[in-house]
Order: sequence, then structure tokens, then C-alpha cells
Amino acid sequence: MATIDATRQLEDRPAPIGWDGKKLSQMLDRSEQLFDETGYYHGLSELAMKESDPLHFEKLFSRVRGGMVSARETALNISASPIVRELGEICFALYTPEGDNVALSTGIIVHVHTMSEAIKYMVRNGWEDNPGIQPGDIFANNQPTIGNVHNADVQTFVPIFVDGELIAWAGGVIHVMDIGATTPGGVCVAPTTRFDDGIDLHCMKIGEHDELAQWHLKRVSMQSRAPGLYVLDERTRLAGCHLIRDSVERLVLEEGVDEFKQFMREAIEDGRRSFKSRVRELLIPGRYRSAGFTEARYADKTEMPKRARRDQIMHGAYEAVVDADGRWTTDLRGSSAWGWHSFNATPAAQQGMQWILFTQTLICNDKINDGAFYATELKLTPGTWADLGDAPCSSSFPWMPMFTTSTGYLRAISRALQSRGYVEEIVGTYTVSGNVAQGGGIDQYGQISGFMNFEIGAQGQGGKYVLDGLDYGAAVFNPEGDMGDIEMWELVKPMIYLSRQIKPYTGGPGRHRGGSSFESVFLVHGTPDFEVENIGTGGMFTSPGLFGGYPGAQAYVHNIYDSDVYEQAAAGNAYPVADVSGEELALNAFGGEHVVKQDPYTLMQAMKQGDIYLSSGRGGGGLGDPLLRSDEAIDADVAGGHMQADWAQRAYGREDRDKARAERLIRARPASEWWAEQRERILAGDLIDPVKTMFAESMRLEPDWAAEYRGFWDLPEDFEFEAVTPTVVAQASEPGKIAPADSVGRFLATAEAHRPEGEDEVPIASDMTKELLADLVDEKLSRRVVHDIQSGHKDRDRFDTWVALLQEGVDYDDPIVLPYGEGLNIVRRQEDGELVIRTDAGADLCRWDENWKMHAAVFVRDTDELYQEIYPPLAHPEGAWMELREYYCPISGHLLETEAVPPGYPVVHEYLPDLEGFYGGWLGREIP
Amino acid sequence: MATAAAATHTPRVLAIDAGGTMTDTFIVDEAGGFVVGKAQTTPQDESIALMQSAEDALRQWELTIDGAFPGIRSGVFSGTAMLNRLLSRKGLDVGVIVTAGQEDSLQMERGIQTYLGYSYADRLHIATHHHNDPLVPRERVAGVRGRIDLFGAEVLPLREEDVREAARALLDAGVQGICVSLLFSYRNPAHEARVREILEEEKAARSLNGDVPLFISSELYPSRRDFPRLNTTVIEAYAAEPSRQTLRAVRDKTKAGGAGFELRVMASHGGTISIDAEQLATTLVSGPIGGVVGARWLADQIGLNSVLCTDIGGTSFDIALLVDKKYDVTSTPDVARFLLNMPLVQMDSVGAGCGSFVRIDPNARRPEIGPDSAGASIGTAWPEGGIKTVSITDLNLVLGRLNPDYFLGGQVTLDVERARAEVKRQIADPLRLGIEEAASGTIELFEAQLRNEAVGRILAKGYSPADFTLLCYGGGGPLHVAGYTEGIPYQQVLIPEWAAGFSAFGCACAEFEYRFDRQVDLPLLPTQSDEERAQMVQLVSQTWRALEERVRGEFQKSGEDPDKVTFTHMVRMQYYGQLVDIEVDSPRADLSTAEDAQALCDAFETTYQRMYARAASSPELGYLVAQAIVKGSTPVEQPQLPVLESEQGTPPVKETRQVWWTDGYVETAIYEMTDVRPGHGLEGPAILEAESTTFPIPPNRRARLDERGIFHLENKEA
Repeated sequence: MATIDATRQLEDRPAPIGWDGKKLSQMLDRSEQLFDETGYYHGLSELAMKESDPLHFEKLFSRVRGGMVSARETALNISASPIVRELGEICFALYTPEGDNVALSTGIIVHVHTMSEAIKYMVRNGWEDNPGIQPGDIFANNQPTIGNVHNADVQTFVPIFVDGELIAWAGGVIHVMDIGATTPGGVCVAPTTRFDDGIDLHCMKIGEHDELAQWHLKRVSMQSRAPGLYVLDERTRLAGCHLIRDSVERLVLEEGVDEFKQFMREAIEDGRRSFKSRVRELLIPGRYRSAGFTEARYADKTEMPKRARRDQIMHGAYEAVVDADGRWTTDLRGSSAWGWHSFNATPAAQQGMQWILFTQTLICNDKINDGAFYATELKLTPGTWADLGDAPCSSSFPWMPMFTTSTGYLRAISRALQSRGYVEEIVGTYTVSGNVAQGGGIDQYGQISGFMNFEIGAQGQGGKYVLDGLDYGAAVFNPEGDMGDIEMWELVKPMIYLSRQIKPYTGGPGRHRGGSSFESVFLVHGTPDFEVENIGTGGMFTSPGLFGGYPGAQAYVHNIYDSDVYEQAAAGNAYPVADVSGEELALNAFGGEHVVKQDPYTLMQAMKQGDIYLSSGRGGGGLGDPLLRSDEAIDADVAGGHMQADWAQRAYGREDRDKARAERLIRARPASEWWAEQRERILAGDLIDPVKTMFAESMRLEPDWAAEYRGFWDLPEDFEFEAVTPTVVAQASEPGKIAPADSVGRFLATAEAHRPEGEDEVPIASDMTKELLADLVDEKLSRRVVHDIQSGHKDRDRFDTWVALLQEGVDYDDPIVLPYGEGLNIVRRQEDGELVIRTDAGADLCRWDENWKMHAAVFVRDTDELYQEIYPPLAHPEGAWMELREYYCPISGHLLETEAVPPGYPVVHEYLPDLEGFYGGWLGREIP
Repeated sequence: MATAAAATHTPRVLAIDAGGTMTDTFIVDEAGGFVVGKAQTTPQDESIALMQSAEDALRQWELTIDGAFPGIRSGVFSGTAMLNRLLSRKGLDVGVIVTAGQEDSLQMERGIQTYLGYSYADRLHIATHHHNDPLVPRERVAGVRGRIDLFGAEVLPLREEDVREAARALLDAGVQGICVSLLFSYRNPAHEARVREILEEEKAARSLNGDVPLFISSELYPSRRDFPRLNTTVIEAYAAEPSRQTLRAVRDKTKAGGAGFELRVMASHGGTISIDAEQLATTLVSGPIGGVVGARWLADQIGLNSVLCTDIGGTSFDIALLVDKKYDVTSTPDVARFLLNMPLVQMDSVGAGCGSFVRIDPNARRPEIGPDSAGASIGTAWPEGGIKTVSITDLNLVLGRLNPDYFLGGQVTLDVERARAEVKRQIADPLRLGIEEAASGTIELFEAQLRNEAVGRILAKGYSPADFTLLCYGGGGPLHVAGYTEGIPYQQVLIPEWAAGFSAFGCACAEFEYRFDRQVDLPLLPTQSDEERAQMVQLVSQTWRALEERVRGEFQKSGEDPDKVTFTHMVRMQYYGQLVDIEVDSPRADLSTAEDAQALCDAFETTYQRMYARAASSPELGYLVAQAIVKGSTPVEQPQLPVLESEQGTPPVKETRQVWWTDGYVETAIYEMTDVRPGHGLEGPAILEAESTTFPIPPNRRARLDERGIFHLENKEA
């Protein structure tokens, strides 16, 4: 029997690949330490390269960024997926060795930071030693807990080496058509655990020597229902990463490696400074709050695992704080618990959402990178849907609740912009992109396939301050939205379009209407076996109104099984091709079994030839009191198919608007009276179970949220909802109570007036005058001029111009201190020197730092009857799940704000400006 | 060029480029010599400027219209009137018939049309996105029930009552034309054909036979993609049809001037077509195409294989590549925020021209160039223009590179002091730099951006600049060519003396050529038998034969002999399952065997690897022949490049002035460009000035004019 008599010599570890002989992990540690210690990225208190030769610095940036854009443009032609080709769901980026983003292309910008987290994961976990990082290696990741939104976004990373040193990473990401989850498509809603989420690429090394490994190609071809598309997408990402690598190598050759290294770091620090400077330019320091809600109705879904069969609401608590330095903090603590569904998010996903919204609004320029990440902070409670922590749940479709929470960013930014007078930038909220048609089976070519209908990339957007909301044009996740060609979509699924047309009454009414969406009606055709699900057809409002506009309408399911469409067509009947309105469904003219309901997720339903499937979109929220909408605009809505005449009459009170305003006040009550009644309701537990469970989850997970809840309703310190919260460890919440005034006091105590250095003015050529601003608001300017104002640099004294313009329009002489919404201003009352919130009609509602809604006249819609004064059936929620609160000026009846929340939700104190920080700090002068 | 005696010139080719501001005329004589004429464009009646511009050109040869026109054999026009008609929404009142359920298509557009043509920043900037005003209001769009599927099979029959109802409603509304674009009609035109019959019946019932022309998408633009096809068909009716009337007026004017030639128009595929051609909308973009066609012709004449074409005007930098003397053609371009379905010479347009605005971002404190520009208003140096923002022209002026008294040949006088003050205030002070440092640095940044864009096109395809000759033209090209070629090892950098009139020149070079495409969608898969593959390519051949007939028909309309037509056979092809096809020249004009099929696939592989050199090819997927394409041309008179006598020496120095190059002022010799003779060499620093352009030669470069009238810009060390 042989014996082993020697220990085998272990191979030497390869030399570190980081800069200056360091390991990557040491570089990352050092970078984080420097930032913690100094507050500057890599401790760069000076931008030596930029300062010494600003123009050369710009030349480098423009070259690096150009490399990303051209990689994207070239590579996307290789893909076969309409999601990439038609919708542009592809993005390329460059990262430092530590994983900080330097520059990125257009596309799904959501991934500016997700890929960063994935690289950092490899660095932190010693990928350098095992499996090793070599020139020519290819890594892939799609794991949301590492750095991604959901599995369907697949990332490729290629290390870029110069002389044995890793100097940067190229990264590319594509949303794939089918990710091989337990149900077909890319945003699967039936998975309940992460084990159901499909192909899992855990920062895996999937290739060497610039070639994709055979095992990987074979494996993913086996695991995706759209293997051809998947493999071409893989090659697309790789080709793009290689183009980036080439361009970096050339740049290093020309500029020198040290120059390039310095450049990358300065570009990030420069990005950090620009972000804060931009925040100070456009916003107001303060605290901004809102809330978003989506529901899942799984109680009756017998195809789900038993523990998942619950009706539940995902509550997204949202708070943003803009501090005196221009730093932005997003706080989602208070959100409800994770669940056995696919709507659970990871911190990387939340980062993604933050970036797509900032890049569309605050920092839409080509200097986007992780610098901005270092100027922000994100606060999450692990164990919530918003940060699933270590829960083994699915995260296939976190977008759904994230969409609704994300409205908080736009609402916060819009309020601040309105205060500053940058009205051309104010955009209302996006809606949930839906109805997502997703499914699979045997396609029209006889092949097994999965598909997802990405025409939802072009939805209605919230009403703007200047002009109506963008109709059918974009989606939260991609401002470069598109719906693609019908003749292209019909190539990928056995479903024939009977129509794609504007859906009336999808945009919420308002002075400016929310953007409309469209409906598509599909005839299943040419398949022996197919299943499809409806996604995003629920009943809770997802696109709230702003400044008194109503929320965008909701969607519904209308599927017809065994329809008689072929027979009707053969008989020459004038059969319907679209449903048109929620009031009288035109598709009812078809025979067959009709399923009509509000259900956010139908799960996969078998459909066969001759069945009909409705994909109904939902629109953006309105902006401003609908009674202020002009007759011409209403006529245009009716003529353009955005609204039917009878509903236009109702929503806009067209016959007699003064009477409509007067009637509002007759029906409304003082908020305090309503509050007292609601308090009793809460104490009596008179809420439906999903609402109670939602509150209980938030309270058990986040003591501060619980304390503020009790404080708002003046409940006992140990008040608790009777509810089972199966995914929350704590079975009771901590006692505590914070009164609203104390909450305000707490925030203001932390605020400080602070004038950052380096704020000397850069001259700006601007023609903005009070008259021009008035014309802008009154929409007398051409589209071209508006665009020039939007795209140009902002006139720095806009705030004063705006206040002067508003002051001219009000009947009082007390000076306006801060515009505070449409028809509301913070005013210095001369008679007693108080700062008060005053309506245009002259009602002083409260002190400036109180929640004015609690001093307005309130009216609540919570029954079908009340909802249907405004919305058609199937376009609004059930009152028990969500009520619509309307806050009026008690003198004029002007609708100042709407609020769509479940019953029992506290009245949100949306906007608490830091007046001292703004005036004393940013403007450098006394509050008037 | 215009120096020889009048008696020696017999004008043979007339090419006109009616741009937004100026109408350029390019006239070529028997010996290949040419003159360039200019006149201010007259948008209300383009023929006025055309005649004035032609007179201006002929005057240089001491000729008149009456004397010269009868001898001209070939006349080519390119203009912007059709584009302007589209942009200003001043087209015909058109009616549209679509598949039921698609009636909102023109309102909804595609989402992409809300940000087409935007800068990087505005593509993200959601508040700026907006829909275009539709060309046809919703009430003039009617839907008809019936569906054809992607295989061309009828899923739901056409409901003829719908068609009659639509026909009556549209005719009642007094439409001036009716467009029909039904889903998948490119695959099976039966429903559209039936709609046509019914429309004809309804028209006949109203005795409208000669009026209200019909525009049927499957006849005009039979390619996949419903929305671009609808757009193109509508534009054919809305903008092209009225332009046909305008062009006929232009033709009549030339005829009245004694012209014996048929006026042709530059089309987007790179050839010229008759003004009676059925696809007139393909002439929507013509001027910039002319430049690329001229470059191809020049490449052919002087034996260049690979050329990077760069064209700078006041607002944009247009780049095109010639590889093996060929340009790529895209089949779904976008023009004026419309997605279209027509072949267009592949060009990339960057929003940076010599009139681009320069601003400093107040937050990042960095210069931003464009995307908007001063256009005809020049910059702050020209107070009459009312421009308050510094433009690239202002920067050139403060550096002494432009002559304030000789701008546009002295037509306007520029105020250098005003420009200096504004550059200081808006650019130099915020950057904390001196005026000249800021101005020259910003121009370097501008030129670096152009340089990256240009070289990026070559690198993205896996080539090296050393394989390419850079050709520079356009009014602003010579001004920045030294900057945007700096440090890049191009094979040669060439600037034709006639760079400013190059687009018109290109029109004169263009073939008389029709091109027709048809979607065929024929798979060539590894799983097919040889017979099956042979059948597939036989179908391609059959389609080519049908398209050849269509080409012959068009030539016949212009009185050309159909037997003299030379055909080129092409396909658009892709890997099976892919969505983007590429254009491939077929190695054979007739395909009938499996071996022919293989030859076609091999040609695809070669072309694919040329276009996406770095991407893995995927032959295992098989192929799809998406479109069959035929081009047919007949010979036309073209310019010849003269070979002029060379002489030694240098031209006379017109004056000297202080010019800031990279880091200080240098006393620099100024020359009049027309004084430069072939063989002359000019050492930098020097500036050549002409009425239409300025060509600075920096200290480290030199230029020489060759015997064909082309400047070579070289490095001194070389």
C-alpha cells in the first residue's frame, strides 16, 4: 500500500494586480478610509489636474465618455432582442479597480451603481486570489443581493490591464428576454423565493482569453427559454466591453498610465462636487416626505405556495433630506416587510432607482458617474421589501413597489423647483409601467420561447408645470422610452395586435393633465400551447397628483377565452378592436368567457388560438387644480382621444366652475374634525386586514415610524395593530410616541445655515426676465424657446424673479418668503411678524413649519360612488384599500393637494423647508 | 479654376445644392474644369436662386444661361425645400388608411421620436421630451378591419365596408391624397391592393380619377417596420408630392433657359433620380449625401480605397466612411425626428459646427460646446446678429485665425473687440484663464471632440486610421481640419480647393440610378437540405427580376433606353433571429443552387465582420435574407478631374498678422487661396483665405496643392 510521503508544494499566489503593488481589496479599503476621513473621494481636496489644465481634463472626459457611447451604439446591433434593439435596454460603463464608476453610456442608467456594487463584491471577497483576475477574463453577474436590480439584468465585466496592473473595469448590462425563472419572461411574478428566480450568475468567471466558456454558453442555452437571444446578448455585452477596453488602452498609450489614473479619480470627485453644486442651484434644503403603495392579491391564487397566498400591500415610506451642504439623503425606513412574492428589493436596486431619477432631472448631463453616489446617502431597514436583507425571498420584480416609492423623488424635486421658480423643470410622477404582457410556450415558429412585451417602455408621465404630461413617451426606468414597432413585436410572440391606441382617461385630470398611456389588444394566434400573465393591472393609484392634480388612472384585466373573433370577422361584423373605456367595455361585443377584474398579477393563464388579451396602460398624475384647466385644453383632450366628453364634464366641472368650487366647500370638513373621526376608526381597528398588516409591519420593523404614527393620531404609546406579520421577526412594535411638532423640531434642530466654499458666480448669458417667466408659465412661448430654457444653464437670480412675479399676482402686500406650491406661499405676516402658510385667496392656514393640510378643508373619496364622480369604473381603487383625500383652500375651494393612501394613513407632511438654511446659507441673506 | 479664357469652356454638367442659406452651383465643362457660383437661397421659389447662382458661375467663364444651357447634358438638383416643408408642417392635406386599431399611430408616434436628434444630456432630460405635431390630424386617419400576419397569411379578412366608409369620409373631407399602410402589407399586399381598388372606385364615382393620388405602402416602400413605413408613405404624399410640383417649376425654368437636359434629383441612396420618380421622398436628404457621393467619386479617380469623409458646416459635423470605395447604407434612418423606411447613405451627424455655442457649466465649471449654434447669426462678433452667447467663430476671431474684414468674402464685418470682451466674460474669467489660453484651449477641446468622433468611427470597426485617407470639406472644414487630424496617423489628409462647394460637386458626380428594395424574409438554415436552400435563393433571384422591371420602368419614364441599364444585386441579410440586417452585395446576379446560397452567406460573413469586426460571428444560427435589392443605373456625364501644370514656389503673401497658435502670438503670413498654384508648398504657420472658407496651417504642419487642385496637409517632420 502506497503512502503519501510528501506534501505537495502549493503554487505561489500571483502578485497583486492593484496599483503600486497593492491588492484590489487594499485599494478599496484605502479609498473608503480616505473618503470617511476627508469627505473627498480618495481624499482629493484639490483637483490638481482639472485646476492646472481644465480644458485638457475635459478632453479626456469627452474621450472616455465617447468610448462608452460608441461601444453601445456599435454593440447593440449584434443583439437580436427587441428589448435591446427597439428599446435600448443596454448600457456600458467604465469603473476604477475598486469599482467606482467613471463614465457611462446612455441606456439603462439605473446600472451606474449596481455594477459598481458587483465589482466591489468581487474585490471584497478576494476574487483576485480565487478564482483570480487575469487579462482576457470575463465575469458575469446578475445577483440582486450583490449588485443588481433583478436577475433579468445580466452584467458582463472585463478587467483592463496595463503592464500587469488592473487599471480599470469595463462593464455592460442588458435586460434579457427570458431569464429562465420558474415562469417565462424577465420580470417574473410567480417566483416566491430566490431559488425560483432563474439563471444565477454570482460574479462568475464565464470566460478566459477573451472567449466565452463553452460550459457557460451550453448552460445558459439550456436554462433560458430564449437561448438564441440570450447568447447573442452575451456576445453583445462582451463586444461592447472589448471596445471599451480598446479605447482605454489607446488613451493610456497616448496619455500615460499615471495621467489616466489621476484622471479617473478626479473625474469622480468632480462628479461629487457637481452634484452637490447642482442640488444647491436648483433645490431648497429641507425635509420632503411622501408614500407609495402597491398591492398583491394572492389570497385566492391556488397556484401559489400556501404561505404566499395573502393579500398584501407594499408600503414605501419615503423621506428625502437635502442638507445645507447640498447632500441628498433618501430614507425608506418605515417601509413594510418583505414577503413571499417577487417584489422584494435589494439596496443595489434602490440605488438604481435613485440614479435613474436623478439623471433624468437634476444631473442630466454627460458627467454622470459615481461621484454623485458619494454625495448621497440611502437609509434602509433590512427585512423590509425595500431592503430584503438576508431573506431568501424572490426579487424578480422589485420595480413594482419601487415605482410607487420613486414618486417621492419627483415630488420632492418638483416642490423645491417650484419654490425656486425653475418651473420649466417640474415634472409630475411616473406611473407603474403596465400592463406587462409576459409569457411563453410554443411560438408561431413551433419553438419553445418566452417573451416579455416591453412596449410598456413608453407610458404617460405626470403633468408638468409648463405643459401637460408627456403622453406614451417614457418609463421610470428609461427616459429614452419607446414602444417599438408592431411588426417587430409580432416576430417574437404568437399574439397579433388587434389594436394599439390611446387609452382615454388614463392621465390624471389637473390644470395640466397627466400623460396618457395606450392599450394594446392581442389575439392569440398560431400557437398550440401558450400562457400569458397580466402584470400591473391592480387597483391602487401609483402615479399621485401634484399641487391638486388627481392621480393617474388604474388599469384592469380584460381577457376573453374562446372568443368568436374569427366568426365575427368572417361574417363581416364591425367587431371591436379595443376596449376604449372602463365604463362600457367595447370588447364585451365578443362572445366567449370574459374575465374582467382589477388584479395586479393574474399569474400565468393558459391561452389558445382565438383568445383575446388586453394590455391596458395607465397614465401619469395630473398637476394643479383640474378646475383651472382651460376649455381649449379640455376640447383638445376630447378631440385627441385623451378623454371622453362626458367624463371631461365631470372631472373639470366645466359647466360652472365657481359652483363646483362652492360645492367642494359644502361637502368638505375641517381637517381636525375628520382627523378625530379617523382616530376613532383606527382605535376600533376598522380597517381591512391587508391595511392593518401593512401598518403592523412598518411599526414592528421601524420604531421611529411607529412612534410618529402614534404621535400623528395621538394614540397610546403602546398602540399596536392586531395583525399577523409572518415575515417580521418582532411580533410587537416598540412603544413610543413622537408628536408631529416634535418631529419637525427634531429635523430643524439638525439643520444648519452653511454657505459652502467656492460659490463664486460663473456669469451666465440669460435672457430670463419677469415678463419672459410669466410667458413661460402662461405657455405663450414656442416649444423651441421652452426647450432652450430647459436645456440652457439656469439664471441664478430666478428665485427673486419668481417671487416678484408671484407677488404681483396676489392680493396681499405681505412679502412672499417662499413659494410653497400652486396657490400657496410662505408669507411674512406684517401685522405680527409671523411666517405663515397662506393660500392665494388669503387664508392663513398655519405656521410655516406645520402641516398645512391639517388646517385645510378636507374631502375624502372612499366609495365607488365618490370615485366615479371623477374616474370611470375600473380606473380607480376600492375605497377600503386606498382613499383619495382632497385638501381645499377653506376660502376659495381651490384644490391645493390630493393624497392617495390607504385609510388610516397619517396625513403626510410633505414639505418642510429649511428656511434659515436656504436664506442664511445658500442665498447669504436674512429671511425677509 | 476660373482663369482660362471663355472660348475654351463648354459647360456639360450643372449641379445645384440649394442649402438653407446659400444656393451653390457647380458647373463642369468638357475638359472637366469647373466653376462654383453662389446666390442667396430663395425659399419661396428655389428656381430664382438656382438661375442666379448658375449665372454667377457662368459669369466666371464669361458665359450666359442662354449660351450655356443648351449644351449642358446633365443637371442635378439637391435642395432643402422638401425638408423645410416637413419641418414647417406646410404639406398637403392628406388622408390616411391604416389597419383598424392603429388610427392613433401618428399621434402616438414611437416614443423614440420624442427625443430623436437630442443631445446626450437632453436624451436623459425628461422634461424636454415632446411629441411632434402629427402630419395628419386624427380625424383624417381611418382604420379598416382585417389582419395579415408576419408570414403573409390572412388572419382576419378585410372588411370592405370599412374601406368604403373611410374612402367616402376622406373624400368628403376634401383630402389632396390618400395614403394606405396596413400591417404586414410588405409580406402580403392583398389587402392594400383591394383597398386601392375600392378607393379607385369611390374616386371614379366622384369623377376624381385624375386627382387625389393614392400612396400605397406595399407599392412604394415594401419593407418591414410599420411605423417607419407609415411615416415614409405619409411623407411621400405630404411633402414629396407638393415638392414634385416645385421641382417641375425648376425644370420648366431651366427648359425655358434652353436646357436640353432632364433635371434629376439627388436621392438618399446616393444616386440621382428623375423628378417624376415614384419614390420622391427619398430626396428628402440630399445635400449631405452629395458630399459622400463626391468623396466616393474622388476616391475612385485618385485611387483611394478607404476614406473618412468629414464635413463641417455651421451647425454640425457629418462623418461617413468609405471602405473599399463603398459607403454603408442604412435602411431605417431618421430625418427631422421621423423614423423612415428608405435606404440612406450612412452618416453620423454630431451637433458641433463652427458656429456652435460655447458655455461654461456653472456647477462643474467646464466648457460645453453646442449642441445649439449661432447659425447664420455668426456669434457675438456680429452685433447685428443679436447673439449674446460666444460661438466657436468668436474664438477663432480673437485668436486671429479668422479675418474680421474678410468673413464670407467681406460681406459682413466682425467686431473683434466685442468678441474679446464676451470671450473674457463668458469663458476666460470663469475658467480663470487668459483670453487666448481659454479660446485656444476651447477650440482644442472642440477639435478633440471632432477628432474622437472621427477616429472612433474607424476604430469601432476594427480598422486603424493608418488605413484611411481623411477627406475634409464643407465651409468650416478647412478651418478646423488641422486640429481634428492632429496626432492621428491618417494615410493622407486631403482638402479639395472646392471644399466649400463639395456637396454640389458630389451631386454632379452622382449616377442616374434607381434603387428598389423588397422584404423577402427567406431563411437559409443549417438544417435545410440543399434543395431547400436552392429554392430560397431562387426566390431571391425572382424578386430581383421583378425589381429590375421596376427600375427599367422608371428609366423609361425619363426616356432612357431600358436596355442600357446596368444592374447591381444586393440583399439585406442577418443571422437568423437577429433584428438588424446589413446590406450585402451579392457575388452573383442570378442565384439558383445551394452553392449560390453558400456564396451569398460567405459574402454576408465578410461584410458582417467588416461592420462588427470585434463581435463574434454566429453562423450556427443560420441566416435570413430579409430584403432583395436592385440598383440600376445608366451612364451620365460626370466631371473629370483636371490635371493642371505644376509649378515651383509659393504664392504671394497677401499680408501678415498676429495669430495665436498654441501658446503665443506668431506673426503669420496670409495668402489668398486662389493665388495658390499646383505644386506650391506652404509651411505653417500660414493662413489661406478665400471668400467661402479659411484654411489655417499651424506651425507644425505644411500644405501643398497637387495638380488636381487638392491640398495635402502634412506634418513638417514627415
